[in-house]
Amino acid sequence: MSPRYSLRSLLLVILAAFSANASNWLYLAKLSSVGSISEEETCEKLKGLIQRQVQMCKRNLEVMDSVRRGAQLAIEECQYQFRNRRWNCSTLDTLPVFGKVVTQGTREAAFVYAISSAGVAFAVTRACSSGELDKCGCDRTVHGVSPQGFQWSGCSDNIAYGVAFSQSFVDVRERSKGASSSRALMNLHNNEAGRKAILNNMRVECKCHGVSGSCEVKTCWKAMPPFRKVGNVLKEKFDGATEVEQRKIGSTKVLVPKNSQFKPHTDEDLVYLDSSPDFCDHDLKNGVLGTSGRQCNKTSKAIDGCELMCCGRGFHTEEVEVVERCSCKFHWCCFVKCKQCHRVVEMHTCR
Amino acid sequence: MAGAIIENMSTKKLCLVGGILLIFQVIAFLVGGLIAPSPTTAVPYLSVKCVDIWKNHHKTKWLMPWGLNKCEKIRDLDEAMSRQIEANDIVFAVHIPLPNKEMSSWFQFMLVILQLDIAFKKNNEIKDNAEVTLDVSLAYRDDMSSDWKEMAHAIETRKLKCTFASPKTIEHEGRYYDCDVLPLMEIGTVAHKFYLINIRLPVNERKLTNVGIGEIKDIRLVSIHQNGGFTKVWFAMKTFLTPSIFIIMVWYWRRIKMMTRAPVLLEKVIFALGISMTFINIPVEWFSIGFDWTWMLLFGDIRQGIFYAMLLSFWIIFCGEHMMDQNERNRLSGYWKQVGPIAVGAFCLFIFDMCERGVQLKNPFYSIWTTDVGTELAMAFIIVAGICLCLYFLFLCFMVFQVFRNISGKQSSLPAMSKARRLHYEGLIFRFKFLMLITLACAAMTIIFFIVSQVTEGHWKWGDFTVQVNSAFFTGIYGMWNLYVFALMFLYAPSHKNYGEDQSNGDLGINTGDELQLTTTITHVDGPTEVYKLARKEAQE
Repeated sequence: MSPRYSLRSLLLVILAAFSANASNWLYLAKLSSVGSISEEETCEKLKGLIQRQVQMCKRNLEVMDSVRRGAQLAIEECQYQFRNRRWNCSTLDTLPVFGKVVTQGTREAAFVYAISSAGVAFAVTRACSSGELDKCGCDRTVHGVSPQGFQWSGCSDNIAYGVAFSQSFVDVRERSKGASSSRALMNLHNNEAGRKAILNNMRVECKCHGVSGSCEVKTCWKAMPPFRKVGNVLKEKFDGATEVEQRKIGSTKVLVPKNSQFKPHTDEDLVYLDSSPDFCDHDLKNGVLGTSGRQCNKTSKAIDGCELMCCGRGFHTEEVEVVERCSCKFHWCCFVKCKQCHRVVEMHTCR
Repeated sequence: MAGAIIENMSTKKLCLVGGILLIFQVIAFLVGGLIAPSPTTAVPYLSVKCVDIWKNHHKTKWLMPWGLNKCEKIRDLDEAMSRQIEANDIVFAVHIPLPNKEMSSWFQFMLVILQLDIAFKKNNEIKDNAEVTLDVSLAYRDDMSSDWKEMAHAIETRKLKCTFASPKTIEHEGRYYDCDVLPLMEIGTVAHKFYLINIRLPVNERKLTNVGIGEIKDIRLVSIHQNGGFTKVWFAMKTFLTPSIFIIMVWYWRRIKMMTRAPVLLEKVIFALGISMTFINIPVEWFSIGFDWTWMLLFGDIRQGIFYAMLLSFWIIFCGEHMMDQNERNRLSGYWKQVGPIAVGAFCLFIFDMCERGVQLKNPFYSIWTTDVGTELAMAFIIVAGICLCLYFLFLCFMVFQVFRNISGKQSSLPAMSKARRLHYEGLIFRFKFLMLITLACAAMTIIFFIVSQVTEGHWKWGDFTVQVNSAFFTGIYGMWNLYVFALMFLYAPSHKNYGEDQSNGDLGINTGDELQLTTTITHVDGPTEVYKLARKEAQE
């Protein structure tokens, strides 16, 4: 690590200490060295959690591994979805995880909040179905429960628990501030939009099992979409996000589109308050890494094309020999036997 | 079958009976809609990927996904790659039910469905007609501390039917295929508290097993069982209905035995219908609570099959006996053309059911649909049964048409007939039209409710108030056919005004007061019984 980089990191940590950043808990994703979170003391040591999140951690120890997994999923998916854009969701090893871009009310922040709350809901639900958690579905403290229990009428869907947990864990920061500032409203909205991206894309699957397998009796259930699908949905919402401002209607403060000619946003849409920087130049103050040194596509006219990606600074071209795996033989898991093929490709990197 | 109760009953009494039956019908719907929970529950499971480290030591055969002796698990298969774990060492483990829950014999049956999450990879696509070979085993135990006991073990193949919605390019790598759900297993009783499923996907390149099935990311299972609450409501209903139908059946047969003549075919068929209804009603399922009778599911299918066959035969014979032409039927052999298809169809479905659920008694993982020959055989049985059903309905419609044609023919010549003959025919027409009406009503109700329950979500909500539509459908329709059989035996039993010579003297003669006889819709002055005696004499001559 270069001294400049460490200096920047240090600066960012200091910055983070002053700016309230509700996505700091995503730092959990970076804590793979901690091992499993199985003792209450570990909760205290986790960086990035606010006091109430630490309390939740202590009360729900078994869920914390899933929260961490959710954070990792969210970051991986964010990086996949933004791989071809100027801002590529790169993370730092410090707080805040995404640099300062996300502490402002930008589009990118909207996406990060949405994908991370979705990630937690997703990971917790998955953990529920694999039996890692004790109190999913049939837990009476979370809504959507049958009063008579599993034997009488079965349990409610695990997704209800996952979403409820995501609500109470991820949203707690905004709620503790009293949900009055426009940032808090934006974050809450985007968190909810992330969870809606899962809920509204649940696949309904059915099975007929009547007499001789006829459809006289049919049972349907809801299956969670793959996380890639959630990422795709949210990326679309990112592209069509609405710029909003806070207005007071009656005694409550709400977010309304800045341009009154636009359709009001729905629960599923992402909203943002501030316009994003262009992410072109290395900007220490705002934690923008810049696009210099990024690979680009010479033929593309879109954002991954060299024209746009390099912000008009031009690009280097060099011929590189890449070693690729080819004519492979696969098993369904864990076994790949390939030949090595050498290929010369042109690689373009931004100046 | 001259002089059934229905003809000799006053409108008022008939309405009263109808009203009472309607009340019971409404109760049947409400019991399902308000008391019972939804009929079945589906519980999704995500299998845990265990590493079979004891493979060569035989320490324990069973791998637990969670709990005290949980297996060594890997989070995803990329981890397995880096740790150089082979495909053959990975076991997908699922514990049914989820933690802190117990299965119960009130669940009646359990079927498990398999779903594979297969990621698309450009150079590791799913091959055409790919088949996945599963080495599955099922174990059970009744308390958390005891050892697992093996219940079944099999090596099964399932066809992969997957589609990929996006274009197959590098950019879309990592997206999942849309794969059809695969049936995994079916057990007819849930006699144990805990079940454990271990699935292996052995790879053998020489035999080409599990080669070209893409990159499997996860195995998800869904278990479906009947809800305990629904079972209890269902049992309660059966326990109540059995004596009701049984008593009316005994009463009906006694009435027939009291007559001087031998029972005619139609009376026998109605009685047989009552027997098959009672056969369905008898709540033998109570035994499934105490005993591990895996054949209960199959037995239930057989009972239902017998009832359907009986009901269909009854409709044909009822039409035939009201044909009002000169042919003497009154023999089952006279209906071979119509009853034949029912018998063939029912037999085909029986064979099919034996091949599917019958074999599942031995091997719960068996499914007839997994092999090509099996699929063709199953389709053949179902198609033959379908053809038989169509044939049957053609015959039935034709017969109903014939009856109506004869009715209109008779109606035009009615005024010219002698009084006794006229009343005989009027009785026949009325009986036929009445049954036609309630049968159509019942069939329409069944179809409407079936469609509603297929189309809508399982329950309707108004605030805190939930109505379980699916449960209401089951209890309501079941109650309805019971009431249908009940009403049939009650209304079509021979009238006592007919056989009790001395009894009938009392209320013989002119109708008294408001007791307007139903048959009087077409004018006549005398009491019907006298007329029927005449009619019978005339017929004998």
